[in-house]
Amino acid sequence: MLVGAFACAHTPQLLARPGTEDRDLVLRVHAAFARVKRRLEALRADAIAIVAGDHVEAFFLDAVPALAVYVGAECAGTFGQYRYRFPIHEPLARSIVEQGVERGFDLCYTQSAPLDYAFYVPLYFTMPEPSLPIVPLHVNVYLPPQPTPRRCYEWGGALGAILQGGSERVVLMASGGMSHFPGTDRYASPEFEYDRRLLDTLRAGRGRELAAVTGEELDKMGNIELRTWAVVLGAVGDAKADVYCYEPSWHHGNAVVEWTL
Amino acid sequence: MSAAEPLHYRFPPASAYRLNRCLFALKSDDGFRARFLKDAGAAIREIGLAAADAAALVQGDRDTLLARGAHPYLVFMADLRLRMEREPVTFEYF
Repeated sequence: MLVGAFACAHTPQLLARPGTEDRDLVLRVHAAFARVKRRLEALRADAIAIVAGDHVEAFFLDAVPALAVYVGAECAGTFGQYRYRFPIHEPLARSIVEQGVERGFDLCYTQSAPLDYAFYVPLYFTMPEPSLPIVPLHVNVYLPPQPTPRRCYEWGGALGAILQGGSERVVLMASGGMSHFPGTDRYASPEFEYDRRLLDTLRAGRGRELAAVTGEELDKMGNIELRTWAVVLGAVGDAKADVYCYEPSWHHGNAVVEWTL
Repeated sequence: MSAAEPLHYRFPPASAYRLNRCLFALKSDDGFRARFLKDAGAAIREIGLAAADAAALVQGDRDTLLARGAHPYLVFMADLRLRMEREPVTFEYF
């Protein structure tokens, strides 16, 4: 069953803490992450299914899956000086890919792809104690053509039904967002007002509106990664968002959100 | 939205495959990055880059790289990882 749903920023500067960052802002986001960690402990989950967008790390142009599921025994990756490894809840991962295909989603699966930092950063800060196995769920966000927000929302609907039908207590977590433009001329000028309006929509329980947004709009607003949020929104339906924090830095709208189920 | 407004992240043209392969390797392959820093010309020959791509890469000419189909995120991260090797950055300073 689905017992919790969250969205967490994965801005690498939150982890690496270089001198370019506002210390107090970063620490406020850390405090929101700590709140998620306490919630995960209280929810007594068996696994975290984490939805993230690959930063051209696991999947290069040899094959670009729109949606993928990691179905190995464990997954590992590196990001600069960081080395990480997580056990995968293999029965749950397998059941998600099998039932997802049965429900009409032509999912890719991998037993070996490297794990992108988009998965690592939120887990570094929020992994409960004792730690949980994960199921990494990939959404293509950086290599066009990406899946439409509507498709992501529909996948989330199927995913939510799959999780509700299972015996494991699963927390669903979206990693990514909000507005940022890495590698472009817009890097230092995200669309914070767009983020704030969207958060108001989510607070009101109108998450389904994200499904109607176009891919072009997400690109224009620096929010290509909100496809991962669309997946979680598809699973939680009209639940209202509790925004733990929204902290706009000079390059990134950092949000931490829970949907109370 | 104006149709004339290009996307920030565009479809990577097949003509830029080797260029993006090279940027991907600079971002994610520690061995390739070390070889590039030791002898950029040899590393570039390993990938088989076109002369114009190689020149833009060595000069760090971002605009030309993007115009030739390089993915902006790969340009950004390849450059960041190279700079981090050349001038070590202090992390976790708070």
